[in-house]
Amino acid sequence: MTETGLAFELQQVSFAYGPEQPVLSDVTLRIPHGSWMSLVGPNGCGKSTLAKLLGGLLAVNGGAIIVEGTPLLKETVQQIRPRIGMVFQNPDNQFIGATVEEDIAFGLEGRCLPREEMAERVKRYAEKLEISHLLSKHPAELSGGQKQRVAVAAILAMEPGIVIFDESSSMLDEKARGELLNILRDMKQSGHYTMISITHDAEEIMASDRAVVLRDGGIAADLKPSDLFGDAELLDSCRLIAPYGIRLARELEKQGVHLPAECGGEEVADALWQLYSRK
Amino acid sequence: MAIVFEKVSFAYDERSLWRHSALEDVSLELETGVFAAVAGTTGSGKSTLLQHFNGILKPTGGKVRVLDFILQAEGKQPPLRELRRRVGLVFQFPEQQLFEDTVEKDLCFGPLNFGMGLEEARERASQALALVGLDDSFLPRNPFHLSGGQMRKVAIASVLAMDPDIIALDEPTATLDPQSRAELAGLLSRLQREQGKTVIVVTHRMEEMLPYVDTWIVMKGGTKVFQGSPAELVRESGRLERECGLAVPACITTWNQVAARFGLEHEEPCLTPEKLAERVVRLLEGHPQGNKREGGG
Repeated sequence: MTETGLAFELQQVSFAYGPEQPVLSDVTLRIPHGSWMSLVGPNGCGKSTLAKLLGGLLAVNGGAIIVEGTPLLKETVQQIRPRIGMVFQNPDNQFIGATVEEDIAFGLEGRCLPREEMAERVKRYAEKLEISHLLSKHPAELSGGQKQRVAVAAILAMEPGIVIFDESSSMLDEKARGELLNILRDMKQSGHYTMISITHDAEEIMASDRAVVLRDGGIAADLKPSDLFGDAELLDSCRLIAPYGIRLARELEKQGVHLPAECGGEEVADALWQLYSRK
Repeated sequence: MAIVFEKVSFAYDERSLWRHSALEDVSLELETGVFAAVAGTTGSGKSTLLQHFNGILKPTGGKVRVLDFILQAEGKQPPLRELRRRVGLVFQFPEQQLFEDTVEKDLCFGPLNFGMGLEEARERASQALALVGLDDSFLPRNPFHLSGGQMRKVAIASVLAMDPDIIALDEPTATLDPQSRAELAGLLSRLQREQGKTVIVVTHRMEEMLPYVDTWIVMKGGTKVFQGSPAELVRESGRLERECGLAVPACITTWNQVAARFGLEHEEPCLTPEKLAERVVRLLEGHPQGNKREGGG
């Protein structure tokens, strides 16, 4: 049975790297079109393996993966792969071209697009990701954040409906991480993409629609990101740490100091001052 | 002093037209047994700085002294093999550091290479693995079949197995889950406090190292723009953010905002939720230390 409106349907998927190393067992999951799911869990829980299965880079040992209604099989992987873009952790491993422009064009050449359309797409996606001024540069001349932008532009230029981010922000410094997060938010807003991000980053998880927790080869929880960060025990079991503001509010709560629920960032000092002045 | 830089410069392609200077006139001192952290944006020279610690890079100007070894542009090279036994470097990408077909062989490689017997090397391997939170079941596994985070832990263990005096790590926590990151920071701090190791960490996640670090260095465009205690870093964070694009973590900005509101700028900063909550509660209970109290009694 397959369902319409789903980007992915996983039916009792299992996978092992050889007989001694089972990684995933009996994973059942539905990912609707246009949604943004965070895949979280401790190191070694199988997040990246699941991403590779979804992207057709690995084949399941048991169960089935259905992509937009088509079962992902040896015979169909060629036809399904172009619909899925993957952005990895280290943008250096993703560069092929001698200039940023060639790099974005590379994937399009593989699709045998007409020259005019290729040039148009390179231009359009470079503008979208604010890297037009970098088109003639060599990838080695770019900062980490710029490289990751180029990698994202190269993937989006191929116009996939599904984009998987495998810890794409983990090598970036805080500033570049914030910029990448804004790109992800824009993509979500556009409604054109189904997004899956594998991440430990609290802000990235909070920005997504849904958090799926992977542990011991199976799905341990499937919930709203705000519920995940509200559940100290669950956070602990998937080895996450809540954002600083939430942890501070929790500590204050323990000592009987209640901050307004929606207060964050700069408002914390103001809220505390108000409590103090009221005394 | 564990490490002294005297007006150190380093240029990639020194003699070429494309000469690109990565360090310029950097002077610094790190005492033996200190926990130091280096921050700065991408391309600020952090990694280049680190690679001078065990002679991977040699200064093109000035002088580097690490333990008793002196590295400079001209003159005789010190025995690099001995230097590298005493200074362990963990690189940014763990997959580039592993090469054997089992974790155990990878962990034993360093100790064996530096003349240790097989039995002792194996023992070291197992101990080092335990330090990073992995059990012996990982020993026979192929390091390339591990997850990114596990690979990173093995790469760190392979350096710890050599029992170096100085441990220098380049972004060791990227790719680790947040709790593993906190555990690694704690482990490095234990090695420093209990075994007297000198630890230097390049990081762009300042928050997780803040509770342990004695001295912070901030780099910008190949120069050192700041070196000081955590309290000094907190006080200068606004300037460093504006001038160097330093990403200041929430624990510092929140403290600075609370401190400004309540006039606590000259106190030791409270940089964990626990410490800040405790301080705030004391304030609200009406012991505002140095502030005027209202009313009588």
